[in-house]
Amino acid sequence: MAKILTVDDSNSIRQMLGFTLRKAGYEVVEAVDGKDGLAKAGHGKFDLIITDLNMPQMDGIQLIAAVRKMSGYSFVPILMLTTESQAEKKDAGKKAGATGWIVKPFNEEQLITVIQKLVK
Amino acid sequence: MSVASANAVVSILEQAKDELRSLARTTETEIHSVAAAFEGLAHHTDTILNLTAELVAAVESEGIRSVLPTVRALGEAAKHFVEQRLQATTGILETVAAEVKLLRQLSLATREQAVIARKTKALSVLTNIEVARLGARGGRFEHLAQQLAEFSQTLSEDVQRLARDTDAHRAAIEEIRQALATALPRQRQTMASIVTELEKVAGVAEAGLIRLSRTPGEFRSCVDMLRQRISGVIAAVQAEDITRQQIEHVEEGLRIVCEGLLGSNGMDSECAEEASWACAGLTIQIYQLRKVKENVASWSSQIKTCMDGILNVSTSEIVGIGPMVLEKEREVSAQLAEIDMLEEESRAHTESIQETLGGLSSLMTLVRDHLRKSKSARDCLQLLTFNSIIEATHLGSQANSILALARHIETISAEWRQITDQAALAMKELMKVAEPTNQWIKDFSEDGSRSLHEAQAQTRVSLENLRSTANFAATQAQHMRTASEQMRLQTAGVKTAGDLLNACFNRFEGIESEVEQARVQLGSGYEKWEEEYNEFEVERRFSASYTTEMEREVLRAALSGRPLPVTEQTFAGNAVELF
Repeated sequence: MAKILTVDDSNSIRQMLGFTLRKAGYEVVEAVDGKDGLAKAGHGKFDLIITDLNMPQMDGIQLIAAVRKMSGYSFVPILMLTTESQAEKKDAGKKAGATGWIVKPFNEEQLITVIQKLVK
Repeated sequence: MSVASANAVVSILEQAKDELRSLARTTETEIHSVAAAFEGLAHHTDTILNLTAELVAAVESEGIRSVLPTVRALGEAAKHFVEQRLQATTGILETVAAEVKLLRQLSLATREQAVIARKTKALSVLTNIEVARLGARGGRFEHLAQQLAEFSQTLSEDVQRLARDTDAHRAAIEEIRQALATALPRQRQTMASIVTELEKVAGVAEAGLIRLSRTPGEFRSCVDMLRQRISGVIAAVQAEDITRQQIEHVEEGLRIVCEGLLGSNGMDSECAEEASWACAGLTIQIYQLRKVKENVASWSSQIKTCMDGILNVSTSEIVGIGPMVLEKEREVSAQLAEIDMLEEESRAHTESIQETLGGLSSLMTLVRDHLRKSKSARDCLQLLTFNSIIEATHLGSQANSILALARHIETISAEWRQITDQAALAMKELMKVAEPTNQWIKDFSEDGSRSLHEAQAQTRVSLENLRSTANFAATQAQHMRTASEQMRLQTAGVKTAGDLLNACFNRFEGIESEVEQARVQLGSGYEKWEEEYNEFEVERRFSASYTTEMEREVLRAALSGRPLPVTEQTFAGNAVELF
């Protein structure tokens, strides 16, 4: 069973992500912000990470940059789930090493289809 | 603008900020409860859908698909069976009536034969008297007298036996005819009502089975509807996060306004400038608040609609599939039992008719035997006639009385021949009539039942499939009921959360009025603030936090005085853009 790390300071987003991913058969670990996410990524091996952009303590871009430097995370897909739709923010995410971008709210069916493609 | 009035406005705005923060927390808590309730409902819905999917697979199986055509074939075979039985019974009744008539004719012929037998006996006595009277000359007639005596004895016995048996058979067949004549209308009525009943039961069973065959399609559309509703809730719950950010941005906007107002050093020109952009800033926040209010209304109504849709599963027809399969199995079983009963009744009826025909066949044997004997008696009488005439001629005038006797024998022989021919004719007719009766009975007992038996056997196999599906359905239905019950219990929780969200919505109204009041107060000394503020400066100060497309559109609408941009409710959510 593939393991996914979800990082978001919003309780409701984490809840809905968890619900959608678990229903699709994935194991889910939740982190409440970038710092928590980084710590959890360091403690376990994940097949995919989904992170918010704007979070307290450490934002999504910083998290991606830090995770990409960790061993074993160079090719792990990272999706950004955010309310932001500005091109410059997307570019920043892409440069930091994000694999894809989702503007909230996500479409659960489409999200699962993409994850199934990314996590093989 | 005096420092005191700036402080008063700041105080109002600070209060609004606090309320917004508290409201955001409340909304987050409530949406968390809604999401938890939703997860519970989704779990139970999943359980119901999985149970239904298994049940639908069972309903869609080959075994169940064969039930409907089998039930139709059974109904047709039963109807054909009943029609054939009625036709056969009518035919048998007609045959039996003809047989009774022929037996009556035979009985009459037998009676006439009895008269002849008596006459033969009398002739035998007369012949003996004549033999005695002729003395030695009549010695040659002694043998004739002896033959006549023996013949009349046998004839009398045969005729008596035939008369007795014919009467007995006639009485028995008459009794059956009467019984059939009485029973036929009743039987016709009973069979007609059975056919009507069968058609009714078959109609009900067919309608039920057709209804059952539609369930897979209904199930799939229900699954699609649920998928859409679940997506709708997921999207709406996420929208709360967007709203929370918007509230934070409004708080930030209010903070910027407060800071600006408190930082003003009291110079008139500077005060005027601060007041004008603060008014513009507050206008933006009012617009944002209106948009937030609109968004909350949109996603809370979406949650309600979708949750209602999910909850409806617990009372939908999907949950009723289990009991429906059970009901259909009972209907088809009842129909089969009805047909079994009909066949049983028909079998008893067949046995009684076969018994009657069995009796008729023994009568045929008897009549055939009697006919053979009658023919032999006719030959014997002819022989006696010739012998007596030859002997009487030989004796000449001395044997006039013997000649008279010989003429009598000749007459009797002719009568006997005539009656025997009549009996033979009646017998032939009887055989002719009996022949189709045998065919009726054959049809009755073999061919007619064969197709019914085949249909019954096929129905039993289909019924067995339906029964095992029904048993499976019963178990599934029980689980579904439990899941539905749990779903209903959670409804109360969902309703409470929905009410609290509505209460949040009302609080937004209050905050918006407070900010509106602050703007009015602030703008009261600066009627021309709308013309005086620097649009670029305002945008620079407030746009930093407006990172979403919608927020930027709201900002532009506020600054240009356009109506709020419309947010379209979406159940779908956004797609992933892969880099």
